[in-house]
Amino acid sequence: MSFACAILIFVLGRHDFWRAALTLGASTVKLAIVLSMLPGSLAGTVYVYELLDFPPGIGIAFRADGLGMFFALVSSTLWVVTSLYAIGYMKGKHARVRFFGFFALCVSTTVGIAFAENLLTLFLFYELLTVCTYPLVIHDETPQALKAGRKYLAYTLSGGALILLGVVLVQHLAGTLTLSTSGVLSPAAGRPALLATFLALVAGFGVKAAIMPLHGWLPTAMVAPTPVSALLHAVAVVKAGVFGLLRVIYNIFGVDLLGLLDYTGWLALFASFTIIAGSVLALAQSNLKLRLAYSTVSQLSYIVLAASLLTPLAAIAAIAHIANQAFAKITMFFVAGAIERTTGRTHIFELAGIGRVMPWTMGAFTIAALSFIGIPLFAGFVTKWFLSLGALQAGAWWFVLLMVISSLLNAAYWLPILYLAWFREPRGLPRGVHEAAALLLVPTLISAAYVLLLGITSRIPGMPFSLAQAAVRFVTGI
Amino acid sequence: MDRATLMDLLPALVVALPLLGGVLALPLRRLGERPRSVILGMLCLATVAGVIVLLPGALAGELRAVSLLRFAPQVELYLRVDPMGAQFAATVAVLFLLALVYSAGYLRHDGRETRYYTFFMLSLGWMLGVAFAGNLVTLLVFYELFSILVYPLVVHEDTPEAIRAGTKYIVYILVGGSLILLGVIFCFHLTGDRPFMPGGIFDPGTDRTLLRVTFWCLVAGFGVKAALMPLHGWVPDVHPAAPASFSALLSGVMVATGCFGILRVVFEVFGVGLAAALGVMPVLTGVAAVSVLLAAILAAGEDNLKRRLAWSTISQMAYVVLGVSLLAPRVTAGALVQISNHAILKGALFFCAGLLANQAGIRRVSEMAGAARRMPLTMAAFTVAALGIVGVPPLSGFISKWVLGVGILEAGQPLLLLVLLGGALLAALYLLEPVWMAYFHPPAAGGPGRRRPEAPLSMLVPLLVATLLSILLGLAASLPGLPLSLAERAAAAFFGPG
Repeated sequence: MSFACAILIFVLGRHDFWRAALTLGASTVKLAIVLSMLPGSLAGTVYVYELLDFPPGIGIAFRADGLGMFFALVSSTLWVVTSLYAIGYMKGKHARVRFFGFFALCVSTTVGIAFAENLLTLFLFYELLTVCTYPLVIHDETPQALKAGRKYLAYTLSGGALILLGVVLVQHLAGTLTLSTSGVLSPAAGRPALLATFLALVAGFGVKAAIMPLHGWLPTAMVAPTPVSALLHAVAVVKAGVFGLLRVIYNIFGVDLLGLLDYTGWLALFASFTIIAGSVLALAQSNLKLRLAYSTVSQLSYIVLAASLLTPLAAIAAIAHIANQAFAKITMFFVAGAIERTTGRTHIFELAGIGRVMPWTMGAFTIAALSFIGIPLFAGFVTKWFLSLGALQAGAWWFVLLMVISSLLNAAYWLPILYLAWFREPRGLPRGVHEAAALLLVPTLISAAYVLLLGITSRIPGMPFSLAQAAVRFVTGI
Repeated sequence: MDRATLMDLLPALVVALPLLGGVLALPLRRLGERPRSVILGMLCLATVAGVIVLLPGALAGELRAVSLLRFAPQVELYLRVDPMGAQFAATVAVLFLLALVYSAGYLRHDGRETRYYTFFMLSLGWMLGVAFAGNLVTLLVFYELFSILVYPLVVHEDTPEAIRAGTKYIVYILVGGSLILLGVIFCFHLTGDRPFMPGGIFDPGTDRTLLRVTFWCLVAGFGVKAALMPLHGWVPDVHPAAPASFSALLSGVMVATGCFGILRVVFEVFGVGLAAALGVMPVLTGVAAVSVLLAAILAAGEDNLKRRLAWSTISQMAYVVLGVSLLAPRVTAGALVQISNHAILKGALFFCAGLLANQAGIRRVSEMAGAARRMPLTMAAFTVAALGIVGVPPLSGFISKWVLGVGILEAGQPLLLLVLLGGALLAALYLLEPVWMAYFHPPAAGGPGRRRPEAPLSMLVPLLVATLLSILLGLAASLPGLPLSLAERAAAAFFGPG
């Protein structure tokens, strides 16, 4: 249905308005539009809308299939929540017009990525996203922030160049860039050419997906204001990378071809290494936001690993984890920001007793942490469960072991924080410091509630999980 | 119709009641200490009543089941009351009720009681969930959550020692939990979501190697909590560090949860036939036998009273695993009865240890000289419970040892009878020494001063009730509805009509 998409574009155009009310209004409208497309998408309908026949024969076009819907739903839901939070967080800071303007643009481009019909559209929005996030990363305009911004641009633009190379190769080999259910490339293209394409695309998207050793920009970009970190790390940028990878694996190469080629075995190895190494590095961080950043590096590779297993159950895990990680991680960033704004503390050892002072905030943090550890009934468990089953389906039991080790590592770096926050007496906090402001607290609680919801209500149609299943049906044809 | 529906929902209700208590503990703080204790006590009592109402049905062989939610497409949370679960639930609920009453007197007013009561009630709820879990996923969900909920109770005292113990506990339990998850995922991969079934859930032609891996994952995972010997490390540290009211539960039912998990795995996931065919049971027998004796020897060498009791728990719970590993009907019944009887007896012993420490400052066996003159009632209860653990007739401990012993002979393993008797003799050595000290040694001059002679009523009553229960479970063991009947019923189901 092109109509829905047209309204969407209309919404995109108006995002440049900076006023808080408009941001909120636009985000709510967008969420409503995405939700309105949900029932059809669940039933397997695919909405297609062609915007421009810009490079002749390829064109800029949108299509809302299961996977795209899923990503769009997650990012537009989180946009509402993050906007609310950002309004509270940025109160009294400089350059808010620029901030909210680019903030909205980012989300628009993200939805553009989600609904891209072909690889070129995807690439276009992907590059736009890079450009739009730059002003957000350097928002503080300190030398440190500017340096981080340069590093960010260097990494992502090189990644973009690689993707462009890959896109050209795909066009050359397949004659089309349309994302199709079963992949567009055929084995006839020859191994060297296919390998080059795969490497270019995976390495390109791998930069934003922060697969080691391409993750360097992510911890550095932590100098950005917290809502940006939350958005970058939980939704827009990193998930765009992962989403690109999923598109490449499922819709460009296709499960059958990749099964034949065995490249994904290597990808899985890189992802496994990232999962473990990211967690180990997270353990070594004493700054809360940096620990969150390395945890993100590790968690993103769950998705990459799951996708590279090429089994239907693992695909469910890959897609569902986009949401599970997004909500849990955004909760944590909100908490980190709330603590920073309320008490000025950024290091983990300073958090002693913070749970007694800010019980609701730390309650949300606890939920997110337990989800990452993969305790049953929390969202993370669903991922862990399906990823493990998917690995067994692929006959790779060592990945199950990897899951177990990783969740123990997660326990090792989240539980001490919980212990400090709840079981120690607060020290050196000025009197009268208590719970964060409502604008910071409410979004935090909403996203924490979502983490619980994702864990227990995955049966309910319309929840992301059933959408993930619909997406998997679409991708794998079962 | 209405009545039937209510009965159907009863298992869920029984699990929910204590959870409600946990949630209410915080707001009820405003009412003051006593009203809150009373309300929580009433909730706990209602829970016990609910479990008892479920007993006749379980005994008659009805499987009352209620499906809670399907939290992922093929995964269902599912509660089911069977004889084994009902027996365990009844044990858990009764001991929690006693411990709750005891806590009211035991806890110092240090501002942390709210946290204690909240997590106390929550863990009761989740633990009943473990007892009534109808499939592996449900078991995993309740088991994992309750293991974590217990942490605030372990570190309740907030001393550096307690915090170290808490860390040790959480590390052991998380590693164990991961192993269980691994096992559950393997099971799920092999069969999909199936409820527990006597005779096992696996299809005959399943790959044997994979089954063995699954078995060891699950048994080692539950073995951490059941304190099987190389995995027992957390037990002797955590017990002395936790408040006595909770140590009683740790020893009485927490460790038993691990055994309960192993029982479920052996009989209702693998089934007797498959477990025997895998050839894994002799190894388990060996491990358990070593645990029984070694832990008992270590207990005899320990001076700290609560640590000694903790080692004793390791030894006594290894009896259960020993019984399970022989795969014979009567010895299985013995193992199940041992869970219940030991829970009450060990609960009583820890109550005593708490009273001794609180009232007279006695923490070591060597300090117990003359304690009986100061606290006659406490020491009388201690004596009865100690004799019960040793297995002196007509106390409850004797019943379980007797059934286990007869079962061992029936299973054709007379050598293991020596292990059983050796364990009992060592138990006599390590538990009767404090009794002897208390009664027949004159109080050491310059020892801990006489402060308060006997404990307050709120702590004595649960202690005496536990003691009386252990006598009752011994004298009236064959009455229907008591653990023995349920255990026999469960064992009969595991081994089929044949």
